[in-house]
Amino acid sequence: MVEVERNGEYVKVEQRFTSWKDLLKPITEKDFKPGFYHYPILKRDAEELGIPYRDWDPLEPDWHLPEGWKETFLNKFKELLEKHRQFKVFMDICVRCGACADKCHYYLGTGDPKNMPVARAELLRSIYRRYFTKAGKLFGKWAGARDLTEDVIKELYYYLYQCSLCRRCSAFCPYGIDTADIVWRGREMLQSIGTVQRFSYISIAACIRTGNHLGLLPGGMAGSLKNAAEDIYDITGVEIEVPINKKGADILFVVPSGDYFATPHWYALMGYLMLFHELEERYGFTYTWSTYAGEGGNFGTFASYELAQKLSHKIYEAAEKLGVKWILGGECGHMWRDKHQFMATMNYPPPKTLEDPVNPITGTYFENAAEAKIVHIAEFVADLIEHKKLKLDKSRNDHWKVTFHDSCNPARGMGLYEEPRYVIKNVCNYFYEMPEHTIREKTYCCGSGGGLLTDEVMELRMRGGMPRAMAVRHVHRKYGVNFLCTICAIDKAAFPHLFEFWKIPVEVGGMMELVGNALILSDEEKERELDLRGNPLPGKGGEE
Amino acid sequence: MSLVYLKLFVADVLPYIAGIIFIIGTLNRIINWAKSPVALKIPTTCGQQKTLPFIRRTWEDRLDSPYTMLETIGRMILEVFLFRSLFRNTRYWLDKQKGVDTRWLWLFALAFHYSLLIIVLRHLRFFTNPIPGFLRWINILDGQVAVVPPLYITGILALVALFWLWARRILCSRERNISYPADHLILALVAGILITGNLMRYIFKVDLFAVKEVALGIVSFHPVGAAVVNQIGWIFFVHLTLVCVTIAYLPFSKVMHFAGVFFSPTRNMPNDNRAHIHINPWNPQYHGITWEKYYEMYKDQLDEIAENGYKVKPEV
Repeated sequence: MVEVERNGEYVKVEQRFTSWKDLLKPITEKDFKPGFYHYPILKRDAEELGIPYRDWDPLEPDWHLPEGWKETFLNKFKELLEKHRQFKVFMDICVRCGACADKCHYYLGTGDPKNMPVARAELLRSIYRRYFTKAGKLFGKWAGARDLTEDVIKELYYYLYQCSLCRRCSAFCPYGIDTADIVWRGREMLQSIGTVQRFSYISIAACIRTGNHLGLLPGGMAGSLKNAAEDIYDITGVEIEVPINKKGADILFVVPSGDYFATPHWYALMGYLMLFHELEERYGFTYTWSTYAGEGGNFGTFASYELAQKLSHKIYEAAEKLGVKWILGGECGHMWRDKHQFMATMNYPPPKTLEDPVNPITGTYFENAAEAKIVHIAEFVADLIEHKKLKLDKSRNDHWKVTFHDSCNPARGMGLYEEPRYVIKNVCNYFYEMPEHTIREKTYCCGSGGGLLTDEVMELRMRGGMPRAMAVRHVHRKYGVNFLCTICAIDKAAFPHLFEFWKIPVEVGGMMELVGNALILSDEEKERELDLRGNPLPGKGGEE
Repeated sequence: MSLVYLKLFVADVLPYIAGIIFIIGTLNRIINWAKSPVALKIPTTCGQQKTLPFIRRTWEDRLDSPYTMLETIGRMILEVFLFRSLFRNTRYWLDKQKGVDTRWLWLFALAFHYSLLIIVLRHLRFFTNPIPGFLRWINILDGQVAVVPPLYITGILALVALFWLWARRILCSRERNISYPADHLILALVAGILITGNLMRYIFKVDLFAVKEVALGIVSFHPVGAAVVNQIGWIFFVHLTLVCVTIAYLPFSKVMHFAGVFFSPTRNMPNDNRAHIHINPWNPQYHGITWEKYYEMYKDQLDEIAENGYKVKPEV
């Protein structure tokens, strides 16, 4: 047992080591710990999404699995093996070398051996061997195979929702086995028998209905953008018009819907609006928000291929109907795994009406987005800064000592490492990196991604976020870092809780908040005294 | 008398059975994999993507996050020949909440695999006549430790690395936890092969000319007779049996990773997703709410936005 300090108190991490036989023995509702298991899907969402529904409680012994659940599950398994080559390969080639074991932040934080990525994949591999390989049929558990029982379903439900799909293990695997992909497939199988979590399906159903995960109606989204414009007026004295559903604009802008309401997302939203206003004033840039495609994120990527497609489709359709040239995407994590790796494939071909992604201000052709026609805001802003198209006052961020958290998906699913750093270094004077084992491709997850951003699994999230929190605490103590910059909406929602739990006095915010602070608007008449949070700016009136 | 039949079976029949099982089994596996399409392009990007010209992208970035075909081949070569991903390995010290580089697994895995490769190449001299020059060079280079007969470095190194890897599975609690009987079985088989091989070379010496006749007989489909096998000691047949059993077992074991690594889309696909869209052959048609349907659903609110000129302004 190891104790991890949290400001004088200690959190115990009990590492359990069992044997291979226990790896095949399912954990059932009797062993479910509060703070680790999810609530089941709601009736309304199940009916809307066509998922089989029944009333069940994860803590009851009888889960009322639907009639013929075993065949349904195994048929889905077979179907997914036939649809996804990588799934078949990943089922076959793991050598259990253990390189992935201590790379998973949930394993580190919980000490539970079944949270090792290899063990998580073995949950499904053991079923695969039993029903789809000869050795498993003949030798049973001696070949690492096990029967599919109701208890196994319970275990799958428990552990497949203890993974945030961050793919950290995949970077270390000598064969590139992608646990996120395996877990995604496993959740698809669970979905076929209706044994899925509540949280992400609420958002998926809402997004299919309204165009965003929060379920905001068009008026609500417009109202939210108006509020942000009012906050900007209070701080800068500049009146900003925000275009919504405007046809014929150059660019469609999409963000994760958390930005419309939550803090600290809100300050990044203000940053976007200020940037686009400035570009419009100085260079005649035109863009629009869409209420139909009001969501950049895609919780469908936590559930199944079909649901992921249902959500990402709207962006291309909106782009076509609004007649824009290309699409610009805001700060978000899994959104960029979807936008970079999935969206264009799932909605092939992109609308013919889209044009080459060329920055209308600098003339830069975003060659890496040539066919999918979607550009990341960090790429866009970095390009503007490089061409000196923005007037920036770095000193307005002097009250922040900044560190940058590479969000899992833009890092390992996209390779977006230098662009945000380039932007941050151009808008801040004080920037410090966290230890090298915790950044870039080795970055640790916040512990709440992949559909885990829900209160019933709070203990899991706080424990899973431990390695990241410790790295932040390290730079806080060493350099006095007080601001964690991140480009993921889930990070922004998760980190404030995580830092409160681990008692680390560091604020969390987006890259665009820092840009918004530093950005000098051309039509700004008086000198700014407050930052976007309403804090007094250093050396500009108020207290130091 | 019956022992001769057993020896003849091992020398003349077993290799063919093992070979056939291996070839058919391996092809079967590979064809089975290849039959499933690659639905999505999912490279694990461990380096900076190709992007704006002023964003620094080192040669490491190019190999860890390849954009072109050439860079992707480079990544695969590094992965297959130098175990790039294992080289990245770290160990997390929970008590200090700190990760440190640990390359022991990489080092011993590399030593083990390369030793096996060289051992296999060395054995080719039994199957060739005349022996090609490069095989002679491998023998000379591997046999630099001057005892009689020269000690082959790889024969010992493979055994040392194997026992290190096995000890890891037995002594480290985490690895013990995830080691199935199959993981021990394959290590035991390879250990048996290496031990009998070394014993045969240094202690229970066998008639190498006769062995070569057996080997040439196998590859030229002219199986040897009782006179030849009777010249060879028993240990050779134990060695050959273990080799044949292992070869026949490979297609059903985790050793298929040697082929699977080439099929892994997180490594063998370039990170150029947005520049070149991957096509999924079974991509389903979109069935969901269209723009028109959406307009009907929220007509009032959408019309209100339209009435305000498709924009909102702060009230000041």
